[in-house]
Amino acid sequence: MHRYRLCFSKEGELKYISHLELQRTFFRALRRAGIPLVYSGGFNPQPRLVFAAPLAVGIEGRNEYLDIYLQQYRQERELEEIINRELPAGLAVKNVLEVQPGEPSLPSVVQAALYVVSFDAVPEKLEAAVKGLLSSGSVMVDRKGGKMGKEKKRVDIRTYIYDLKLVKEGAESRLYMLLATGSRGGARPDEVLGLLPVKGESRPAVFRREIFVYSAGKLVSPAGKSPVYTSIQESNSSGK
Amino acid sequence: MGMVKKMGKKASILFNGGLLGKVNRPSRYLGSEFNAVFKSPDQVKVHLVLAFPDLYEVGMSHLGTKILYALANSLPYVYAERVFAPAADMEALLREKDIPLFSLESRTPLSRFDLVGFTLQYELNYTSILNMLHLGGIPMRGEERKQQHPLVIGGGPLALNPEPLAPFLDLFVLGDGEEVLLELLQLYRDWKESGARKEEFLAGAAGIAGVYVPSFYIPRYRGGRFVSLERKEEHAPAIVERRIVSDLDSAFYPRSFIVPYLDIVHDRAILELFRGCPQGCRFCQAGFVYRPMRERSPERLKELAVCIMESTGYEELSLSSLSSSDYSGIEELITLLEEEFAGKQVRLSLPSLKADPFAVKLAARIQGGISGGITFAPEAGTQRLRDIINKRATEDDILSAACDAIEAGRNHLKLYFMLGLPGEKEEDLAGIVELCSRIAAAGRKRSGRGRPLRTTVSVSTFVPKAHTPFQWEPQLDLTEVRRRQEYLRRQFQSLKNVQLTWHQPGMSYLEAVFARGDRRLAAVLEEAHARGSRLDAWSDHFDFQLWEKAFHERGIDPHWYARSSPGYGEPLPWEHLQAGVTRDFLACEHKLAMKGEVTPDCREAQCAGCGLKKCPLAGR
Repeated sequence: MHRYRLCFSKEGELKYISHLELQRTFFRALRRAGIPLVYSGGFNPQPRLVFAAPLAVGIEGRNEYLDIYLQQYRQERELEEIINRELPAGLAVKNVLEVQPGEPSLPSVVQAALYVVSFDAVPEKLEAAVKGLLSSGSVMVDRKGGKMGKEKKRVDIRTYIYDLKLVKEGAESRLYMLLATGSRGGARPDEVLGLLPVKGESRPAVFRREIFVYSAGKLVSPAGKSPVYTSIQESNSSGK
Repeated sequence: MGMVKKMGKKASILFNGGLLGKVNRPSRYLGSEFNAVFKSPDQVKVHLVLAFPDLYEVGMSHLGTKILYALANSLPYVYAERVFAPAADMEALLREKDIPLFSLESRTPLSRFDLVGFTLQYELNYTSILNMLHLGGIPMRGEERKQQHPLVIGGGPLALNPEPLAPFLDLFVLGDGEEVLLELLQLYRDWKESGARKEEFLAGAAGIAGVYVPSFYIPRYRGGRFVSLERKEEHAPAIVERRIVSDLDSAFYPRSFIVPYLDIVHDRAILELFRGCPQGCRFCQAGFVYRPMRERSPERLKELAVCIMESTGYEELSLSSLSSSDYSGIEELITLLEEEFAGKQVRLSLPSLKADPFAVKLAARIQGGISGGITFAPEAGTQRLRDIINKRATEDDILSAACDAIEAGRNHLKLYFMLGLPGEKEEDLAGIVELCSRIAAAGRKRSGRGRPLRTTVSVSTFVPKAHTPFQWEPQLDLTEVRRRQEYLRRQFQSLKNVQLTWHQPGMSYLEAVFARGDRRLAAVLEEAHARGSRLDAWSDHFDFQLWEKAFHERGIDPHWYARSSPGYGEPLPWEHLQAGVTRDFLACEHKLAMKGEVTPDCREAQCAGCGLKKCPLAGR
C-alpha cells in the first residue's frame, strides 16, 4: 500500500461546495484518473480518502490536505498531473508527497489553521476590538449541541484563539487569525468574527491559508516541509 | 477544456460576494460540474435552455434531459444549457436582488434564450413552469410574447395531454425526442436567419411529425363538456402522432454525463436497456405511451457503459428500464459488464424488478445477494384486482420472490400498492394487509440470523391517466380515499417492523384533475401560481386549500375532472394527440378489466392488436 498526501486548493466558486460534496468530487476525479485506490472491505467498499480538516461552506482554502491510499506506487509528479486533469475548475492539486503508511492519520495531528479575512476598508473600532479579545481571559460563545443540535451550549474559546493580527497590505487590510482546529478542540472563524465589529451587508471574504500539525513543539505544515509557523507575520511573507 | 464563461451581469453578484452562501445547497446553482458543456453563446446560431420544473436533485436524475443535453450540444451551431426550479430560499434571493432566473452554465437570463424547453413529467410541476417563466422575465402566456422573446416548448410523457398548459407553451413535442429535436433546431436556425415572424416558425413546426402547436386549435365546449377541437389554421394537422425512434442501437445516447457535486436523487450512471414495456398494466401511462418495446443490443450497451463509467468516475451503473428484468439479453449483458468491470469497483443495480424468482436471482447475482433493499410492486392486494389491472404476478410469485429475497439476506423490503383502483373492494384492502403480514412473518422466521427484516409499504392513490384503458374511470372520491387510508393505517398498527407510507390524498387528487384536464384549467394554473403555488410535488410546499381557492375563484369544479367517467363515444380533450395505440384497443382493454380478464405479455402470446404501426411484434 502506498500513501500520498495531496496539497490542494479549493477556490473561487468552489468555496460553495460542502465537505461531503468535496469528498465525492475527489473520489470520482480519482476514479476517472484511473488511480488504483485502496478500498475498505465489506459489503459496501469505500475508498480511503482522509482529509485534514473540513472547510466550512463559503470559505476558500489555499493549502488543504488529503491523504489517499494506492495499491501501486506512482510518481508524485505523475499523480499531480493526472488528478488535475479530472478536477473541476476551482479545485487544483498543488503538490503530492509520498508519506509512510504508518504515520499517524492527518485529522489526529491537525492542531491549528490560519485564516485570512480581507477588508476593503478597516471597520471602525476593529483594531481596539482585536486587542480587547486578545487581552481577555475568557471568550464565551454559544454553540449548538445535544441531540439534533437543538440545545445551546456556552463555550469558552479563548484558549483556541492562538493569535490575531490586523495588517495593512496595499489598498486592503487583512485580519490574520491563527485558531486551534481539530479533534482536540478549536474555534471557527465565524465564531471569532461574530465577536468583532465586522458585520454588514457584504460579509468580509475569508480564506484558509494553511493548516498546521504539531511536531516537536512546533506548528508545521502537514506536507512536512515549509512553512513552519513562527509568527503570523513570518508566515505571511513565506506562506503564499 | 476551452472554458468560456460569460456572466449574466446581475447574476454575478450572487457568486462573487458571499451571497450564495445564504441559501441551502448552493452547489445546485454553480453550473461548473465536471462534464458540463461550455460554449460561447455568441458563437452559436441557436441558444437553447433545457428547463426542468423541479429542484436540481430531481431534474439532474432525469435521463431524458441528459440525452437531449448531450445531443443538442453535439451540434456545433447549438448551445444547450440547463435550468431548474430554484428552491424557495433562492427564489426569495432572486426577487430581493431583482435578478432574473438564469441558466446554470453561462448564467444568461431565460428571457435572452432562443428556445426554452420544458420537460413535462408530473402534473404537480405545472405551476413551477409558470414560475420559472415569470422569474426568467418571460411573459407566461404565449400570446403576450413578442418576437424578441424565446419560444417556449414542452416535451415528455405529459405532452400527450398538455391542454392545461396550452396557452403557456408555443409548441409540444410528442414522443421520443432524439430525431424531432434535430428537425426543430434546424428549422429554427433557418427561420432565425430568414428573419421571418414567429407565426411562420410555428407554421413550419406544425409540419414536422410529432409537433403540436396548440394555438392553431380552438377547443369547443357545450353544456360544460368538451365537444370538439377546431382547427384555426389550414396547415395544422387534424391528428398529431407521437414520434417513435425505431432503432435504439443507432439512436443517440450520451457517452458522458454531468457529475453533480450534490447527492442527487439518482446519483449514478444510467444505461437505458430498452424503451417501452411488454407488461401492459392498465393503470400505467408509460406502459402505453412508450410502445413498442425496443431493446438496445448487449454489445452497444457494453460499449456505452465503458465510455460513461470512464468519463464520469461513477461507482454505480443502473441498468434502467420500465421493467429491467424483461430485457431479453439481461444475463448476457450482466456477464459482459461483470467481465469488463472486474476489479474496478463498479456496482451494477437493477432499479425496477418484477416480483418473480428470475428477477430476484438476477438481483442476488449483481448485488452479491447481501444486505441492502429490494423493491416489488404487487400494486393490489388480491388476484382478482391484479387481474383487473393486468398485473399478472400471482400471490405465489410475490410471496416466493419476497421469501427468496429474505433468504438471500435482504434486510429491507419495499412494497408498492395502489389504493382506489377501479373495482377495489374491502377485501382488496384486507388483501394488502394479509400479503404484507405473510411477508413480515417470513422475515421473522429468518430472525436469529442477522438483523430483522424491515418492510416499507407504500400505498399511492390511483390516478386515471389519458391514453390508458382507465382514462374512462373516475378517481375515487377524496373522502373515501381518506377513509380507506385510515382503515389501512389501523390494520398496519399491529404489524411489527412494517412501516406504512402513503401519498397525500390532495396531491393525487390534483394530479387526477390535470391528468385528464382540458384547456379551461389553464386559468386555474394562473390563479394558483399568483396565489403562491410552486414546487407542489414537495409536501412542505403543497397547499391544498390554496388550490381549492384557485378553483373557486375561477369558477371551475375540480370534481368534474377527477370524478368524470366519460362514455366510449364521448370526445376526449386529448384525442387529437395520438400515442399510437388505438382507442378501440384501449376500450377493449377497459372492458376486459371490468370482466377481470388479463391480456398477456406482448412477447409471450398472440399479438393483442393494440394497433401500433411499425411494431416488430405486430400481427403475431
